Order: sequence, then C-alpha cells, then structure tokens
Amino acid sequence: MLGRPNRAHPNALALRAGASRLRRLVLGLAGVAAFIALWKLAYIFNWAPRGTIPDPFTVPVALLNEYRGGRLLPAIASSLVHYVWGLGIGTLLGFVVGLLAASLRVFDEAHYMLARILRPIPPLAWVVFAIAWFQVSHAGAAFVISIGVFWVNYFATASGVRDVDPRYYELARAFGHGGFFKRITSITLPGAAPSILSGMRTGVGQAWMTLIAAELLGVPGMGQEMNSAAGVGAYDAVVVYMLAISLIYTLSDGLFALVENRALRWRP
Amino acid sequence: MSERRDALLTLDDVGYRYPGNERFVFEGLDFSIGAGEFVALVGGSGVGKSTVLRCVAGLIEPATGHIETPPRTGKGSRPSAVVFQDTRLLPWRRIRANVGYGLSGLGLSRGERDARIDEVLDLIGMADLGKRWPHEISGGQAQRVGLARALAVRPQILLMDEPFSAVDALTRTRLQDELLAIWQRLNMAVLFVTHDIAEAAYLAERVCVMRGTPARVVFDERVPSPYPRQRDDADLNAFAQRVADAL
Ligand SMILES: Nc1ncnc2c1ncn2[C@@H]1O[C@H](COP(=O)(O)OP(=O)(O)OP(=O)(O)O)[C@@H](O)[C@H]1O
Ligand SMILES: [Mg+2]
Repeated sequence: MLGRPNRAHPNALALRAGASRLRRLVLGLAGVAAFIALWKLAYIFNWAPRGTIPDPFTVPVALLNEYRGGRLLPAIASSLVHYVWGLGIGTLLGFVVGLLAASLRVFDEAHYMLARILRPIPPLAWVVFAIAWFQVSHAGAAFVISIGVFWVNYFATASGVRDVDPRYYELARAFGHGGFFKRITSITLPGAAPSILSGMRTGVGQAWMTLIAAELLGVPGMGQEMNSAAGVGAYDAVVVYMLAISLIYTLSDGLFALVENRALRWRP
Repeated sequence: MSERRDALLTLDDVGYRYPGNERFVFEGLDFSIGAGEFVALVGGSGVGKSTVLRCVAGLIEPATGHIETPPRTGKGSRPSAVVFQDTRLLPWRRIRANVGYGLSGLGLSRGERDARIDEVLDLIGMADLGKRWPHEISGGQAQRVGLARALAVRPQILLMDEPFSAVDALTRTRLQDELLAIWQRLNMAVLFVTHDIAEAAYLAERVCVMRGTPARVVFDERVPSPYPRQRDDADLNAFAQRVADAL
C-alpha cells in the first residue's frame, strides 16, 4: 500500500469505508438469521421438552396479542416505574456514600468493615425483606433494584475520587480554589467524572437484571407477565417480553451514552 | 542596575523538612527578592528548589524561620502565582476557562474576567485558541497557557518551577524570549527555578545557587550583562562558568 503510488479516485477511501460498513451489516444480519434458523430447528426437532420452545415465527403474532390484550404497555409502564425509582435512589445513594467514603477519612474508616460484610450479599437475597417490609409492591421492587445499583455506583465513585491526581489539588490551592466547595466542584467531581459516569452506566444495565428477577415474585411488570405467560405455556409471549427488555435497555443505554459523551467531551 | 529596590519577598532563616522526615531539605535560607526583580534559583536535582517554591507560594508552611510575602494589592490580583513544570492544565476546562481559573473569588465581574482572559491570551499569542481543550494544543502552547493562567491574576511575583524543561530546545528559546518580553512589559518580580545554568544566566538579573544537605544558598550574584542579551555573550558565558563552579 505504502510503496505503490496511489492512483485511486479520492472517493475510493470513502467507498471502502462504506463497503466495510455494508459488510458488517450483512454479516451481522446473517448471524441473527443463523440464530433464528437454529432456534427453528430446535423447535422442529424438539431439543427441549415438548412445548417449551416457541416457534420463532409466531413471536410477531404473540407481540400483537400481548399488545391487543392490553398487557404489554401497562407491564412496560409498571416496570419503568420500578426501574426509574430503583435506579434513581440507588445511583444517588451510591454516589453520595462513595463520595463521602473517598473524601472523609473518618467516614471511610467507620464504614469499610460494614461495606465488606454487606457487599457480597446479592441484591436478590434482599427480596425476602422487600416482601416483609413493603409487601408485594412497587416500593419493594424498587428497593431490591436500588441495592445492586447502589454498590456499582458506590465503588465507581469512591475509586474515581480516590484516583484524582493530587497535583490538581495543589493547583487548586495555588489558585484560590482550596476551599471545600470550590475544590469539590472544580477538581474532584470533574476529575472523577469518567469513573462516576461509567459506574452510572453500568447501573443502568444492572438495574434491568435485578428488575425482572424482582418482578418474577409477583409485582406487576414485565417479569410478572413473563411468569404468568410461562404458567400457561405461552412461551412465545415470554420471548416478546425478553425482546422488549432488550429494546428498552438498548434505548436507555444509548441515551445515557449520549449524556456521558457530552459530559466527557474534553477527553482526547 | 545597582540601585536597591524595596524587598518584595523576604526569606528569613527558613528551613523545611517533610512531615515524618528527620532531615531538613534546606536550612537557614536567607534571601530577598525586590519588586520587579528577576531571580533565578539554580541547584541540582533533589536539592529542594521545588520545595522552596512551594513554601514561597504558601502551599506548605516552613518548619523554621519566616517568609515575608507580598501584601495583597487591591482588587483582582493575587500576591503570587505559580507556573508548573508539568503545565497542570485542567483537562476538563477549555483553554479560556483554564486561564481564568485563578480569577474567581477576586471580586471581578464576569466582564472584567473575560477582559482579563482576552488580555493575557493576547499576550501569549493564543487569542484564537481559547475554545480548544488542553489535549488539542502542543506542549509549548500548553506551557504558554500555564503562564497566562498565572499572569491573569496580576501577581506581584511570578513563581516558575522549571517551566520550560519539558519542551524541545527550539520552543524553549522562543519561550524564554517571550517570557523576557512579558516580564519587561509587566511590572512583576520573577522567581525562576531551573537546573539549566545557561537558561538562568540568560534570563535573570540575579542568580542564586542552592547546594548541600540540608541545602543552603551558596552563591548569590547579579548577572553582569544588560538586556537585551546575546546568548553567546562572553560576559554571560564567564558568569555561567562561575555559577557552574559554585554548583
Ligand atoms: N512529598 C515529599 N515527601 C518527602 N520527601 C519529599 C517530598 N517531596 C520531595 N521530597 C524530597 O525533598 C527533597 C527536595 O525535593 P524537591 O522536589 O524540592 O527538589 P528539586 O530541587 O525541585 O529537584 P528537581 O530538580 O529534581 O525538581 C528531595 O530529596 C525529595 O526526595
Ligand atoms: Mg523540582
């Protein structure tokens, strides 16, 4: 490439880029098609107990049924309520506690052992208490979700704040930003922002994982709809909810990525 | 050349040791800098030059002795300002915001701050790069921005810690001449830390040498050549040789 004089048309590069994008798209679609074919085979040859693998080609019909039956949208709306509350509370608490842990020595020393004891407990283990305290309710589901989100944000914020280059704090003092508030806003938060935001983004995904499990217990939402559909053998409806989750996750993650990129556009 | 100016900054028997360290980095430091004077502080690596600068800037407290710092002069200025070797621009602020970093809390209105930033960006010849992020400028430009950030607060004394040691030789001579021009235009003192003897002799009116453990000032003399200087001036080279001998 380098030794040869480049006689190609100036548009050749753009063309090649376009071709490679097309190639990616075609291969990507081929992968999906192969998966659906495999699925169809599994359905035809009964690779799993009879009736537990839905026909992939009936999924669109199932989608229509769920929608027409008035189950799909309310389930999504209800799930979103848990999601937003759980995510919001968990993110806020994780951020605040992480910030305190990394910036106040006393706080750090007073809480590290407790954190070590509580941290390994899976969020779903709290379901028992969620039911005991909140019954089967929106609050209970939000509570369980917030626990997982809390830990993710707590660790991301604490490590991000601890990793801020101490030379920036010296700069802050030299230029009149040594006070607590000015130091936090001009150095700590922007310096830790990459880590904080990536923690928040992980939380955005993590919340969906616990959400469905929490709802399987009977709180209205997509998890519950999946459970009751499976109960009557309507596995194609289960797939509908799985795809709905995938779609909503992709949207929320994409939205957050936009926010993240905007906030971090100073990065090379 | 020989008239004595009023002392702006005075170190009186100053010593420092890092917390938890028995040994003093330096001890019995006695010297003063006059208003508007350009002093270079030379010394080997690890002798304590940066530590002296940190003391003078008020970033650390001396363990012994006393430092008389310049009085606060009215609105919109700080007694001293630091230029760091590693530029230390905040990557999350655009160039303009970096330059204006020291201006908050000085009682300036937004318009006054903007005017101040424009003024110093103009001074360093980067008026049209204010919107860039720090990673979008060269090393030499970053050094200039670090200088502009310090100049923006109109310090009575500019504290520079090996500011040009990380740039290439060509950029370095350019930056040296720019610094001289700026110093001659603005009425401020400069304390310039370097381990480059030729640089010290070319720039400063007076050169001090630190040596020993704990370090002391072992050499403190005025540079004999008037400005503008030639880099290959014989007097200058003879002087540089004497500084080298003292080191
Ligand atoms: N934070 C610190 N804690 C303990 N010792 C330190 C600390 N910073 C510097 N020192 C020690 O103090 C001495 C002086 O350091 P300083 O950075 O002032 O030297 P310097 O003359 O600026 O060196 P250089 O030319 O390499 O920048 C060195 O021996 C160094 O090891
Ligand atoms: Mg140093």
